[in-house]
Amino acid sequence: MTNSSSNNNQEFQDPLENYDPKTYGGRLEQALAEELVGEIEHEPYATIPPSMSVFDAVHKMAFMHVACLLVEEDSKLVGVFSDRDVLTRVALEYEHCKDSPVAEYMTTDPVFVYSSQSAAAALSVMAVSGHRHVPVLDNQQNIVGIVSPQRVTEFLKRSL
Amino acid sequence: MGLLENMQSETVSRLSLREPLTAAPSATVRQAVEIMREKNLGCIFVVDENRKPLGEFTEAMLVQILRENPAAMDEPLEQHAAKHWPWVKLTDPISDVLDSLETKNVRFLCVVDDLGQVVGLTGQKGLMEYIAEHFPGQVTVQRIGGQPYPLEREGA
Repeated sequence: MTNSSSNNNQEFQDPLENYDPKTYGGRLEQALAEELVGEIEHEPYATIPPSMSVFDAVHKMAFMHVACLLVEEDSKLVGVFSDRDVLTRVALEYEHCKDSPVAEYMTTDPVFVYSSQSAAAALSVMAVSGHRHVPVLDNQQNIVGIVSPQRVTEFLKRSL
Repeated sequence: MGLLENMQSETVSRLSLREPLTAAPSATVRQAVEIMREKNLGCIFVVDENRKPLGEFTEAMLVQILRENPAAMDEPLEQHAAKHWPWVKLTDPISDVLDSLETKNVRFLCVVDDLGQVVGLTGQKGLMEYIAEHFPGQVTVQRIGGQPYPLEREGA
């Protein structure tokens, strides 16, 4: 009985025996690869409905000292309205457009990341795609937050 | 050499700097916004005839103007520009950029040469690009917006 068990042990080869865990050049690289977007601070965040007027949206942005509002309809992200939208679409025409719904001036189809993606995804959106404020969604497409360069910078500093 | 060591040994000149936008003190806020809009950049400097910066105006300040007094769009830019702004020297280590962005909570950093003249603009995006360059395997191959995994189980 003992001999038989010993033979079985010799025949068995653990498929993970030769597995080399991934190695990283440093703590930051490991954090970018293994930590999730959800681990970057992504709250608080501010949402508005698409029907809100440009006037009210600008006031909310200024009052809250935030650079980006998430435009939400039926709990789903339908756009973002940022200070860049104010600069490029609203400021010079403010008197004309301030009573219009923000839906007409927001950025539709915004780039977003899932909270379950790696932290590198947030950095990628900012560095490669050039978007500064990135909505964070859960896997059911619900808004759970927003990551900003400031929040990513804090994450990087923590991981250095 | 790790990223931190690189950031301490490499200087701001290593970052991809943006050409700074400038306007004369007599320009109006509206004229400055037209320049910023055309160049798609959220920051402009008021400079004197020697290109010495006198003030900084950002898109965040624009939002405050629209909230408080939209008529100020036709006032001189100098009245609304910040008299103090964060800056780094071309020869400072990149780690100073990270420190400034974190501690001062700013988006843009003015880059000046030894004479104090504005030579470029960097900030959050410049730093992100620098870090992305160090980890192309982690950062640049990311697929953005796709489902990270199927919501429904496949098979029987």
